[in-house]
Amino acid sequence: MEIARNLIALLFFPSGLFLLAAGMFYEWVDRKLLAQYQNRIGPRWFQPLADFVKLLAKEEIIPEGSNPYLFIILPVIALAGGLTAALYVPVFGVPPAHSFNGDLIVTIYLLSLLTLCMGLAGSNTMDRFSLVGATRTLTQLFAYEAPFLLALLGPALAAGSWQIGEITIYTSQRWLILTQPLGFIVVVIGLMGKLELPPFDAPEAETEIVAGALTEYSGRGLALFRLGKGVELVVGLTLIAAFYLGGVSNPLFFLLKTLALLLVIAGLQALLARLRIDQTVGLWWRYGALLVLVQWIFMIGGRMIL
Amino acid sequence: MQKKMTGEQFTVPIGPQHPALKEPAHFSITVDGEIVTNAFVRLGYAHRGIEKAAEERNWVQTQYLLERICGICSHIHSTAYCLGVEKLAGIEASPRAQAIRVLVAELERIHSHLLWLGVAAHEAGFDTLFMYSWRDRESVMDILEGLSGNRVNYSANLLGGVKCDIDSAQDEAIRKGLEFLKERLKHYLDIVTSDALFLLRTRGIGVMTRNQAEVLGAVGPTARASNVAREIRVEAPYSMYMEIPPIIILETNGDLEARFVVRIKEMIESCRLINEILDYLPPGELTVRVPRRIKPAETIMRVEAPRGELFYFIKSNGTDKPERVRVRTPTICNMTSVVKLAIGSQLADIPVILAGIDPCFSCNDRSVLVDRRGNKACIWTWEELRQYGIRYYYGDRT
Repeated sequence: MEIARNLIALLFFPSGLFLLAAGMFYEWVDRKLLAQYQNRIGPRWFQPLADFVKLLAKEEIIPEGSNPYLFIILPVIALAGGLTAALYVPVFGVPPAHSFNGDLIVTIYLLSLLTLCMGLAGSNTMDRFSLVGATRTLTQLFAYEAPFLLALLGPALAAGSWQIGEITIYTSQRWLILTQPLGFIVVVIGLMGKLELPPFDAPEAETEIVAGALTEYSGRGLALFRLGKGVELVVGLTLIAAFYLGGVSNPLFFLLKTLALLLVIAGLQALLARLRIDQTVGLWWRYGALLVLVQWIFMIGGRMIL
Repeated sequence: MQKKMTGEQFTVPIGPQHPALKEPAHFSITVDGEIVTNAFVRLGYAHRGIEKAAEERNWVQTQYLLERICGICSHIHSTAYCLGVEKLAGIEASPRAQAIRVLVAELERIHSHLLWLGVAAHEAGFDTLFMYSWRDRESVMDILEGLSGNRVNYSANLLGGVKCDIDSAQDEAIRKGLEFLKERLKHYLDIVTSDALFLLRTRGIGVMTRNQAEVLGAVGPTARASNVAREIRVEAPYSMYMEIPPIIILETNGDLEARFVVRIKEMIESCRLINEILDYLPPGELTVRVPRRIKPAETIMRVEAPRGELFYFIKSNGTDKPERVRVRTPTICNMTSVVKLAIGSQLADIPVILAGIDPCFSCNDRSVLVDRRGNKACIWTWEELRQYGIRYYYGDRT
């Protein structure tokens, strides 16, 4: 019975198929919203699925000079990382399927796996666009990771636990966006950096380096990487909504809160012009890290006074 | 693809096929990390033999051929040609025809600059500005379509006059469209000078000093953004510009922001010019008769295309065909500045610096035949050039 329950959690709900569908849905909502903000019509609802099917059907070309095993396995690991992370997060408003003390840290690093895999995939090929893209991807990882992590640890500190399940119980009665607004700003922008959305899309700036680290990918590998991004978008939105927006205790709240967040993120994408990679790094270490530290000083100071 | 590594540097090829370039050209950018240490440009992928083909066609046919040199500034090419041929034939189009010529040229300038605004914003990664500026470009395209029936190759010019007239309904439509555009242009001017993130990508990037602009022979808005007052409409007024002089728009910074500001202000200035022409529009015939054959003579014609100075040399030999037509488009004058400005800048800024001159590659590709073994001067006929082109694309590249 235990095994059956685990299998369902892994393959169907909340991780697995359900999450993949949700990833595609959120990708569509993002694209549609961005299109509407930019005075375009945008894709139809099944476009991400159609893209996925098309890519699966396409021939996968493994370029000369790259390690073929690595080339094939990297997108799989990236997607697996996102799906595994979903097991510890209250996606769709249901409690996490698995939980242990300190699973917050594990989740954050599982989410970073996608970026790491993309960086490796880019440096695995001989293509110059991929190499520049991989360098930028990894540089960006070092820029946003620390402030993003610290901003997610803010709610953990307030709740006094590093277990996502316990933090969400604490936050479901409180809107931490009110008490930790700086942390909220950093975590939202951090998610945009993680997903390489504009203005942090320098690693895949099409006008400079074609498609960045993924230039050589076609067919299945590209499909899995894109799916991984969709999954990460859902998991990331869930984490932020659960921590900062009063929890996601039921499916309706989950849907409303994550979509509201996506509305904000799509708006930011439409508003902001692409940053150069050196500007991205400067922004994160000069302002992002500073904002989080100020937030932490306030929190710790507040505790000591009370 | 082979990796060309020399120490810590390697070469990033941009083009001839690349998402940043909608036309074929090859840029080899040597980078050290993200810093560009060397840049090299190769043009000539879209040579079409138009100058040679012009020698095979009569005066009227040549006009339609030359109009197709550039898809964006088609009208200014035919204006330069028509004015030149009229000068050779010793005739002058009526004031009404001249006014309509200038009116279409200014509408074309707005359409070209708006297109550029979108492309340049896209290269800098600001897609929202791209989408909005192209949406608003539709209004000027609609005006041009209402006027001439065409959106791109308007074919408004004739030797000795123009084809389309302006009645009161069109007058009203143009004024209404321009009113809308003026509001939008002021908004865009506000965006490119105040949007903090966009300014990070344009302010102080790709700076060309006044001295550099003069030495490198930059023309058009690129030069005017570096405070070089080079504007043919004012220096050597042609057609209607004597009566309706434009104001030269100058900026002093010479960076990308200045190029954005110059072009947007020029569009606002064009709106003013068009309104003045509509107020002024003299009555009269649209065309005068041009002789079929033109006595041997030669002339040059300079006009201000949206991208800068456009230069025509036309030579007649007494027949109904031109002896020689030579076209120099503004992009070739500005291209050296791109290579110069690229060195030392960031790889990420290259697409915007390149877009900053508003390049139009297929307009500037020429070929010269050099026979190094024999000493005889050699000029191909049109048929030989055609056969060479066919052989070349079958793979025989000798």
